[in-house]
Amino acid sequence: GILLKFREFFGLLNAPRRDGFVSFHTSKYRLHYLETPSGLRLVLNTDLGVGSAREALQHIYSNLFVELVVKNPLCPPRAPVQSLLFRQRLDAFVRSLPYFGPR
Amino acid sequence: MADEALFLLLHSEMVAGLYRAAEQGEGENGRCTTKLESMGFRVGQGLIERFTKDTARFKDELDIMKFICKDFWTTVFKKQIDNLRTNHQGIYVLQDNKFRLLTQMSSGKQYLEHAPKYLAFTCGLIRGGLSNLGIKSIVTAEVSSMPACKFQVMIQKM
Repeated sequence: GILLKFREFFGLLNAPRRDGFVSFHTSKYRLHYLETPSGLRLVLNTDLGVGSAREALQHIYSNLFVELVVKNPLCPPRAPVQSLLFRQRLDAFVRSLPYFGPR
Repeated sequence: MADEALFLLLHSEMVAGLYRAAEQGEGENGRCTTKLESMGFRVGQGLIERFTKDTARFKDELDIMKFICKDFWTTVFKKQIDNLRTNHQGIYVLQDNKFRLLTQMSSGKQYLEHAPKYLAFTCGLIRGGLSNLGIKSIVTAEVSSMPACKFQVMIQKM
């Protein structure tokens, strides 16, 4: 399965590559991480079969987060996201990824 | 593209700023809506002058309403009004199924109670535009399911 979440703290990671993308894996799962210039961190956990989720994370940031959360006057900046529309679109997008599938 | 985001963000902050100021003072909600509507009115007056400087005179009221629905709406919101209805007795209903200032908010019922705040400026915009074209009117808006909304224009006979 795939879990998607935004987190504030991430001290354990080494400095990311210049483009802000990093991915590490354990024997059980792989974690993909994208950091935007504005300091927002996106985390995607997948199982080991997935190579790079950079485009997916980039799409989520540019097309979903910026459009539906940043531009939503009723979503205060840096607060937990309450917008149902954002959740629906995010859910639909993740489900459409080629590597999404039931266990 | 950038200017669309600029207007959207500026408009959001206008609404938020006015309501914040109202909370600190003693103004209630009704006054904020009126202020937003008046701002829209003044902007609408100016905009319509600019947009119609090269167009021919309008034949009648219906022609003016069609202009608002097509050219005016397209220039401000990058799309046309989806549906225009009238009872031919001075009442027009303009329906926009994907109103640009609401699409980012929700699709459905979430945040519905906040929607009117984001429509006040646009009501004024329509009223101001019509006013400078010689039509006195009252414009109200209603939303039942985002991002679709209806603007109702009631022409006042002088």
